[in-house]
Amino acid sequence: MSTLALALRWIHLVASVALVGGAVMLLVAGASDRPTALAWQRRVARAARWLLLVAVVAGVGVLAHQTALLEGRAGAAFEPRALLRVATETQGGLVWLSRLALLALAGFFVSGGLRVVARVDWVALHGETAALAALALALASAAGHAAAVEPGAIRAIAVDFIHLAATGVWAGALPALALLLRAASRESGADARPYAVVAGRRFSRWALVTVIALGLSGVVNATTHIADVAGLIGTTYGRLLLVKLVAFALALIVAARHRRRLLPALSGDAETIGRPAMRRLAASVTTEAVLIAAVLAVVAALGVTPPARHEQAAWPFAFRLATAALERSTEARWQVLVGSQVAVIGLVGLLCVAMLRRQRLRLPLLAGALVLVTMGGALALIPLAVDAYPTTYHRPTVPYTATSIVSGMAVYDEHCAVCHGRSGGGDGPAAPRLPRPPADLRAPHTGDHTAGDLFWWVSHGIARAAMPGFAATLSEEQRWDVINYVRLLGVLETARWMGPTVDPGRAWLVAPDFSYTVAPAPPRSLRDYRGGRHVLLVLYTLPRSRERLAQLADAYQMLTTLGVEIIAVPTDASPDAIKKLGDTPRVLFPVVTDGGLDILSVYRRFDTAPHAEFLIDRRGYLRARWSSRTETARDMNRLLAEIQELNQEKADAPPADEHVH
Amino acid sequence: MRALTAALLVNLFLVVVGAAGGWHLWRRTAAQADARTITWGGPEREWRDVEGVVRAIVPELGIVVLTHADIPGYMPGMTMGFRLAGAKIPPSLSVGDAVRFTVRGSPPLVVVTAIEKP
Ligand code: HEC
Repeated sequence: MSTLALALRWIHLVASVALVGGAVMLLVAGASDRPTALAWQRRVARAARWLLLVAVVAGVGVLAHQTALLEGRAGAAFEPRALLRVATETQGGLVWLSRLALLALAGFFVSGGLRVVARVDWVALHGETAALAALALALASAAGHAAAVEPGAIRAIAVDFIHLAATGVWAGALPALALLLRAASRESGADARPYAVVAGRRFSRWALVTVIALGLSGVVNATTHIADVAGLIGTTYGRLLLVKLVAFALALIVAARHRRRLLPALSGDAETIGRPAMRRLAASVTTEAVLIAAVLAVVAALGVTPPARHEQAAWPFAFRLATAALERSTEARWQVLVGSQVAVIGLVGLLCVAMLRRQRLRLPLLAGALVLVTMGGALALIPLAVDAYPTTYHRPTVPYTATSIVSGMAVYDEHCAVCHGRSGGGDGPAAPRLPRPPADLRAPHTGDHTAGDLFWWVSHGIARAAMPGFAATLSEEQRWDVINYVRLLGVLETARWMGPTVDPGRAWLVAPDFSYTVAPAPPRSLRDYRGGRHVLLVLYTLPRSRERLAQLADAYQMLTTLGVEIIAVPTDASPDAIKKLGDTPRVLFPVVTDGGLDILSVYRRFDTAPHAEFLIDRRGYLRARWSSRTETARDMNRLLAEIQELNQEKADAPPADEHVH
Repeated sequence: MRALTAALLVNLFLVVVGAAGGWHLWRRTAAQADARTITWGGPEREWRDVEGVVRAIVPELGIVVLTHADIPGYMPGMTMGFRLAGAKIPPSLSVGDAVRFTVRGSPPLVVVTAIEKP
């Protein structure tokens, strides 16, 4: 079923592209009165009728398949009612319906029923065919992955629109061009040879522009659907794209040969143009068209493959490159420096080879340069290589929230503390009996390991160290929970040094997300303030915090104007918190009545004082901590100064979630 | 028919269809935006049994500040001050009380007409 659907999509795509390109090629070549040229034009026009029919039939087939998918049963594909419902009530269906309607309109122009009185009619005929077919083709962007991009669907659709239209006007013209060149390269086609040469040259110029548009829009498209290298080589979508790129690159190499060798070979007096040269060009253009048909097959497959951004990338190599090693070892830094310089010398050598005219020197120089590049590259890259696993680039499926961390804590105490110790110091009761000491999870390992690395170890264990794998005992969610907890353990030590003043420009400590309710208002989470407000999280204990709360209540208006929200959590997590506060001070900021327990369990790991305040910037980083243990009273002006500091910062650090170590 | 005439007619048709489609889409998004914004003024409305918690009482102004649940068609749940009809604040009301109240009026001119502890 899905092979059939893929085939239908491919056929539809090839026919649509060739339909557009055929009309474009006629326009590019221009009108002519030579018999061979006229015969070719008639042939292209006849082909257009068939292509249109095929495109429509295959298109209806795709729609029917879509209907069967949406309705959940194969039979629906043949029910007119179901088809109509999908075509008129879903966005994808509507787009396909409009596209088929545009093709039907184009059918009017390829039908041959219209009169061509003057040259302008001829241009109008083919121009309209090209425009309608190109519109039908490019509109497919509104029913593809681009339409699901969030946010920025309009932009993604526009870029994909350009990409598809450029495909049509460039690649689609290749079969028609090949036909013309073939016809003109025959003995009997001598009359159209000058026409074919001119058409070839014009097309070559035209192709240069469209291929550039194709390339640029393709790059934007790729970055929309693929986040990183891991997505490119670790997902089906990314790998299909690589196949597409290889086929496209081959087509470009063939095209470059046309421009540099084959077209110039056709120069000279029109009558003396060699038939062999033209036959070679015709064959080569055919090859290019076949390669493009292969590209289109991959495009059809990409259309039904979920984009890499929505998939977990399976990293295929046992290593990856990371710069973290450089921060620790000077030796590594030197090695990378020397290696990269050697490689650069090699690259300069390669450039020289490319420009050198003396054939005799070329080979030895080439060999030398290649050796330098390889050796330098290897020298520079080896220190950067760190172990990697298939899950290295997996994104956590459970976000870094207080609730997850609390669940992770329980898992940890039950399964990990025996070896790693209750506080993560590697001093659990079973530790002395192990072949290797358990890792100290409190040591900051930011940058060395990705969350996906931890997921691999927790799932599959570390054999040499006798750490067991937990894939069988813990659910995937529990494993991510415990990783979130380990992530917290890893920053606690360093976080201890965070003081009440903001360190300008240095945002590194991601504030665990949490959600809370101030009954009966609907629940909110820290995340909701991202990009909007800073948050001052206040953990308070009555009665000693009363004075400070009064201070905050007085300043609340001003803090709000400065872009700060206060969220207050009583350390007893009482649901009666508001009542206990009473009517003085007049506290109007959120006082958490539900959800406080998780917040306390996590944030009190940073500070156990009866009264503690955390300043979290609007990107989600914890920036300052003030605790009643270190200072008994706090001047309001100092808090305001810290907030001014935050407000003056430029948003250069990425928002806190991308920052998974 | 002449090809040129046909092309011109088809283009005209596409422009008309495009304009009509665009107009329709614009109207639809505008209508959706309307549905989301609070209609200021307009006829008087009433919302009954809204849940809230008393955050502050300002008797001299006849105002209670409430953290309330969503008030559909008026505003999402938040903390804000409400004027009481007749400026009569029930003496038994104190900060931290969970209440149910009725709001009446045409936004933004609304008053709380009833407030009780369930
Ligand atoms: C049987 C003892 C044992 C248990 C149980 C155990 N570990 Fe380990 N773990 C180790 C040892 C030993 C190492 C050190 C590995 C090495 O040196 O290569 C380690 C290493 C790690 C590391 C790598 C840290 C780093 O920076 O290299 C992580 C993360 C980790 N353990 C997490 C966990 C979690 C989470 C659990 C519970 C689900 C757990 N471990 C349970 C023994 C254990």
